[in-house]
Amino acid sequence: MIDPSWIAALGVILFGIGLLGTFYHKNAIVVLMCIELMLNAANLNFVAAASHYGDVNGWVFTAIAIAIAAAEVAIGLAILLSLYSSQGTISLDAAKELKN
Amino acid sequence: MKVDPYNFLGISENSSEKQIDRAIKKKMRLYHPDKNPGDKSAEEQFKILQNCVKEIKESKKDSQKPSDSSSNNDTGAESSPKPAPSPQPHQNHNESHHASSENEYRLLVPLIPALLVVPLMAIVGVESVDAAFLIVLAPFIAFPVILVTGQLFNGRKEWKHTLKEGGIIGLSALLVSLCTASWVLLDYLRGAREISKDAGGRQATSWIDWISFEVLQTDYSMTSERVIGVGVWIDSLTLMLLFVATFLCFLICWFSLGYMNTDPVNENRNHRFYAEFVLFAMGMFGMVLADNFLWLFIFWEIMGLCSYLLIGFYFWKPSAAYAAKKAFLTTRVGDVFLMIGLLILYDIYGSLEFSVVFADPSLAGTVDSDKLFWALLMLFIGAVGKSAQFPLHVWLPDAMEGPTPVSALIHAATMVNAGLYLVARMVPFVDLGGHGVAGLGDLGLIVAYIGGITAFMAASIAFVQNDIKKVLAYSTMSQLAYIFTGLGVSLWFYNHGKTDAATLVFGGSMFHLFNHAMAKGMLFMASGSVIHEVHHAHDHLHEGDGHDHHDFDPQDMRNMGGLASKMPITSVAMMIGSMSIIGIPLIGGFWSKEAIVAKTWKASLDYEPLMMGPAILVLLTAGMTGFYMSRMWFMTFAGEPKHEEARKVVDHVHESTPWIKEPLVILSIISAMGGFGLSVFGIVKWLAKPYSYDLGINQDSFLDQVIYELEHAFLPEDPNLRIVGWTTIFLSMVIGPIFAARIHGGALREGEKSGPLVSWLVWLSGKFGSQDATEISESTLALALQERLYFDHYYELALSKTVLPFAAFAAWFDRTVIDGVIKKVESNSTLGSFQIRRVTTGRASDYILMVAVGMLSIFVLVVGVSG
Repeated sequence: MIDPSWIAALGVILFGIGLLGTFYHKNAIVVLMCIELMLNAANLNFVAAASHYGDVNGWVFTAIAIAIAAAEVAIGLAILLSLYSSQGTISLDAAKELKN
Repeated sequence: MKVDPYNFLGISENSSEKQIDRAIKKKMRLYHPDKNPGDKSAEEQFKILQNCVKEIKESKKDSQKPSDSSSNNDTGAESSPKPAPSPQPHQNHNESHHASSENEYRLLVPLIPALLVVPLMAIVGVESVDAAFLIVLAPFIAFPVILVTGQLFNGRKEWKHTLKEGGIIGLSALLVSLCTASWVLLDYLRGAREISKDAGGRQATSWIDWISFEVLQTDYSMTSERVIGVGVWIDSLTLMLLFVATFLCFLICWFSLGYMNTDPVNENRNHRFYAEFVLFAMGMFGMVLADNFLWLFIFWEIMGLCSYLLIGFYFWKPSAAYAAKKAFLTTRVGDVFLMIGLLILYDIYGSLEFSVVFADPSLAGTVDSDKLFWALLMLFIGAVGKSAQFPLHVWLPDAMEGPTPVSALIHAATMVNAGLYLVARMVPFVDLGGHGVAGLGDLGLIVAYIGGITAFMAASIAFVQNDIKKVLAYSTMSQLAYIFTGLGVSLWFYNHGKTDAATLVFGGSMFHLFNHAMAKGMLFMASGSVIHEVHHAHDHLHEGDGHDHHDFDPQDMRNMGGLASKMPITSVAMMIGSMSIIGIPLIGGFWSKEAIVAKTWKASLDYEPLMMGPAILVLLTAGMTGFYMSRMWFMTFAGEPKHEEARKVVDHVHESTPWIKEPLVILSIISAMGGFGLSVFGIVKWLAKPYSYDLGINQDSFLDQVIYELEHAFLPEDPNLRIVGWTTIFLSMVIGPIFAARIHGGALREGEKSGPLVSWLVWLSGKFGSQDATEISESTLALALQERLYFDHYYELALSKTVLPFAAFAAWFDRTVIDGVIKKVESNSTLGSFQIRRVTTGRASDYILMVAVGMLSIFVLVVGVSG
């Protein structure tokens, strides 16, 4: 049995990678992937905590989070499609309509 | 392809130019090729539309030719409501009037429901006093109704011809008021209700509490709840003024149907006139009925607003706009003082309800007479502003810029009487027998002096005015000043315990108000009739020749003369009205004026030498009234037209406009008979009933009463008064008119005839020889009088030296300091937001960074705080 603190540490590392990825990547799909990464890092933390405390709630939350993540990806991809149709690219630097 | 243009546009053939324009523009927008590129059907429609427009224009041109317009009654209606008198000829006005006047009175059918209101209320069992709210409510409802429907249906045929652009609605509302007021009055006259002299016995009905509030005491406790209610206060003064106001408003509205609706200048704007008219009437009714000073003040201000709106009815004329502003601002000066006076009164009595204030004005001796004196003086200044007395009189002559019915409304029925009403309401404060406050006799002196000075000054200015309405305006000022003098004398008498004399002169003053209102309302309407017909005659004379209308003033009496044969009814009406104002024995104003003059002299001879000033002034004014009123009548109706142009115009005058004659006839009868008739029935005593103390001047039988009145008027017991009385009669009936006849009188032209009495008078006026007055009229004094004694000049000078620099300073202060601060704040915050705006880069990753940083800092904060 792995110590849950290792799992939590893995979660933190994954979250950091995801966060940095969202900052630095221009490609919207990569950003979406990074967001997924952060979500899963959070899920990992839930699982770790659940096994630490022997509580089922953590696993239930994880299941819900995965379901929501699926929905979120669907919406995110839809946004990307419409971004592409309007801008002709999915580079986030192009989507600057809200500037100032 | 032939299409009926009107059908195509979806309008009727006799719709106004405005409507046609609107319809054309609408269709243009619909079918214009630019809007419908490539649409074949739209293009076709557009071509049809262009043809229609051409056709309409041609048919317009045809109908404007005088030759074939006999079938077209609407020529006036089709002239667009241009501000300036339209250059289009108003052909065959008289003919079209004759044609339409037969059907005019069918328009009165909608008035029947208004007549039924009062009987219905009586059957249901409502007390007349409880129904008094209808007097105010009816015009209050009519005001928005006329305004809104007028805006909606302006220019429609039914609105214009059946409803007279709202005139019929206004007339029915005023009829409801008149009926209700008469009902209340009848209840009192037949004795169903009693006016008694103690405050408790007077009829005060309070319906609801309007405002109730608590007062912070000096020891910081909230106590003594105070209530301002809504109700009516009825005594003989209220009843008289209510009758005068409702009756005259009704008649003047009737007159307006003829006067306003046949003048093309007013086309499509009359609903504004009628709406403001009924609102004005409501202000007067409400002010008379109010049972506390606050409501009185509110209605007072409503009248001020409406006078502004109505005087400025022809707002495109700079003179009218100026006059409206002047009237508003001058009365405003008085209103400010009135408000101060009311505040002092509230301070003294802790209430503005009549029932509280009048109950025991001395508050058992605790009222400071100095304070009360100032309060009443302030109220009096308010009254001076409203009633156009010296020195706030300057607005009234200018107010003649409004339409003539407005002049009649302001100068006879409503506004100027408001000030008199307010002064008459001061009696309980000074009435020692009714526990008033002693030591206020000076107030009476001040009032009497202001009255005397104004009477004399206004009469002298009226000597040289050539504008028929201006003469009447100054005459109004002068006659109101008579009433003020009488009230001043009566206040003085009351405050010195001479209640018998006080009651007589109080009743006499109020009676003069009645006589003057009836006569002056009628005189203004008669002058309106003259102006209207002369104006139309001039238009008729010059139709089509492009003659400029501006060099001919239909109000200038120098353009008249010899109208007696052309306008029989108007000339008789004006004669009787003038006689009533002059005070020819046995007619109208004689009875009341005699009382005022005699009692003023009595006060000065027997009691107070200082009263000599007003006494001499009013006596002189009596003679001057005789001069200027006769002068006006002779200039207008007697003699021959004064020059060639006037002769041509006078030849075309016909007394043919509908709706105008009936009010003149009714008011002539009242002016002629009312004075004697009512004084025989003891109106003087009745008017002073709330403040009278059993005078014992009523005789047993009717005949005794008649003899008593005649004796009292012509042969009073006091020898001094006998002299004064006969001097007054001599001055006003003989000296004044003879001088006027010498200058302006003269027989009519050969072959011209008029009614029996009028023709005798005209003949008589030519018998005193003629005197050339050009030399006198060019003297310095006459020029000064022409310039209204330079009052306006010096007022403007004073204002330009004081108020205008201050206003300029205030404007500078506002622009640089106040606006400066605000602008600095504004520009700096704009600058700041420009800086802040740079944060929003629009890049998603930046936002994510901000979210992350924000979340992190919240997390850190939470951890840090919770430890």
